[in-house]
Amino acid sequence: MESIIKNIEKEIAAFAPTEHAEETGIVRAVGDGIAEIDGLDTAVLSEMVLFDPTFDRTLEDALKDPEPIYGLVLNLEEDGVRTVILGDATRVYEGMLVRRLGRLLSIAVSDAMVGRVVNALGEPVDGKGPIAGTTMRPIEREAYGVIDRAPVNVPLHTGVKAVDAMIPIGRGQRELIIGDRGTGKTAIAIDAILNQKHEPKESRPICIYVAVGQKESKTAKLVAELSEKGAMEYSIIVTAPASASAALQFLAPFAGAAIGEHFMEQGKDALVVYDDLSKQAVAYRQMSLLLRRPPGREAYPGDIFYLHSRLLERAAKLSKEKGGGSLTALPIIETQEGDVSAYIPTNVISITDGQIFLQTHLFNKGMRPAIDVGISVSRVGSSAQTKAMKKVAGKIKLELAQFRELEAFMQFASDLDAETKQRIDAGRRMTEVLKQGRGEPMPFEMEVAIIFAAVNGYFDSFSPEETSAAEAKLHSFLEREAAGVLTAIRESKDIREETEASLREKLDAFVARHKESEESV
Amino acid sequence: MATAPQLARYYAQALTRVAAAPGADGSALAKNLIAHLRATGRMKLLPHIARSLKEAHARQGTLSGVVEVAREEERDTALAEAAAAGVHAKTVAVNPALVRGWRARSAGTLIDRSAKRSLIELYQRITSA
Repeated sequence: MESIIKNIEKEIAAFAPTEHAEETGIVRAVGDGIAEIDGLDTAVLSEMVLFDPTFDRTLEDALKDPEPIYGLVLNLEEDGVRTVILGDATRVYEGMLVRRLGRLLSIAVSDAMVGRVVNALGEPVDGKGPIAGTTMRPIEREAYGVIDRAPVNVPLHTGVKAVDAMIPIGRGQRELIIGDRGTGKTAIAIDAILNQKHEPKESRPICIYVAVGQKESKTAKLVAELSEKGAMEYSIIVTAPASASAALQFLAPFAGAAIGEHFMEQGKDALVVYDDLSKQAVAYRQMSLLLRRPPGREAYPGDIFYLHSRLLERAAKLSKEKGGGSLTALPIIETQEGDVSAYIPTNVISITDGQIFLQTHLFNKGMRPAIDVGISVSRVGSSAQTKAMKKVAGKIKLELAQFRELEAFMQFASDLDAETKQRIDAGRRMTEVLKQGRGEPMPFEMEVAIIFAAVNGYFDSFSPEETSAAEAKLHSFLEREAAGVLTAIRESKDIREETEASLREKLDAFVARHKESEESV
Repeated sequence: MATAPQLARYYAQALTRVAAAPGADGSALAKNLIAHLRATGRMKLLPHIARSLKEAHARQGTLSGVVEVAREEERDTALAEAAAAGVHAKTVAVNPALVRGWRARSAGTLIDRSAKRSLIELYQRITSA
């Protein structure tokens, strides 16, 4: 009670009435979340305006509903402006007074946001009270230029074997995750977030998950999963659910980027997952059509490419002079019937530094994650791959490429020569080794050890059907009996001669134990 | 290709500019405009032009300053302070909802020195802290 009184007294003591002149306009028309405003001649694009619900009411009425309603200027016209309403549009009425705020759309950001769920305006929506120590940051800003950037050379391990081995992601990279609905796109992104738990605290990226146009139940489930697995202690969720206005769905990814930049500029690493940009594009299309902007291909406005390019260009690895922080972006795009040549997928593919393709037919065949490694690519990640991973992963691509060529002949297995059959079996084994359940990201050193075993033939004594189970056994065997080897790989990020010898020794012991148990059966 | 409302706005703007010139005759201008529209087959623009002219007129009306005071006795102080702040008002209205003080509007500019505004801002700051 005392603190409340103190706060109120402090506010009263510091109070000074508004002295300056404000520029105002009047709402001419309102509908579908868009307001046409007469006046505001000097307003600028992306500026915030305030719809004042208190202006023409008595003090008593005004205090019943004093919450301001914000708007975002998106069209500058001859005799006024058009804005999107960022809030309850039903409270905006014709003739309402609108005030310029003289600042670009900004959100409150703070270190205390970690562990919280916020909306596209940075306001907490998790019922845990206000966020302390916030500073305002514009949600739209120019991306860092060439001079301020450094090459991407630090890996961001996702904990997904297929990704870390063949489509590696570096800190500061933009890697697209693309596929039809229900192919496991979100699962890869979530695994990447969960896997950061394995990183040392001082270099662990702050993870920001931006949910655009999703069911609130899905987001709630995700928050519960992250909390349960201890990942909320380094994560922030930005949510603009399907029930939110198109304006908020359009803004949410920019809010995520602004929050990520807040950490990047402190020299920290941040990872932002945009789930998904197809829905953001649809929201932007809706807004643009309501703003009467001319429609183009698939009815998207002409600047839809710029919408995504200016967002994703904000991912960066900063130079040492700028603090050396990074912002990694994992945008997600949903395709229809696997059509990657549609407008939005082609745009985002061309903007990003690589893409992870997920295929429905692989998913239906039981391949998890359903990554099509043949057409997935990472354009800059390989320079960020650790020596250890480079050493073991080089052979996988070749082996899988050979397997894909021969895969069609699998049905004639009985008529194939021994060498072809051996290659097919090796490919099948490798495919099994790369399978991984949802929510089971693997520490980098374990990935290296298992892939090392696979490429060096330690699974050859198992049939392809048994490989998956054998891989799980090897996992627990290594955890139990090769902790030293795993630590050596983790610390040196390489497989040195002595480490390789010890690893081989352990793997030989594992294979020998398997043979013994088979003989005893 | 300009749409009908756009064309009408251009006509209204031109007409407003010509009408503002010294010695302009409003009724002659209107007659000439109608003759021109008839000759060019654009008579259907007439209602749009009338609407645009009304809008422009209304906007000019708001350009002339208006001062609101909470109490009659604040009238003179309010007019003087508003003039000092750049709002030269012709009319003063009494609005008890302002509680104390005054507010003035002119040409899309608002100066609000009312107690109502101050109290609402104070309330918002306290409740959001």
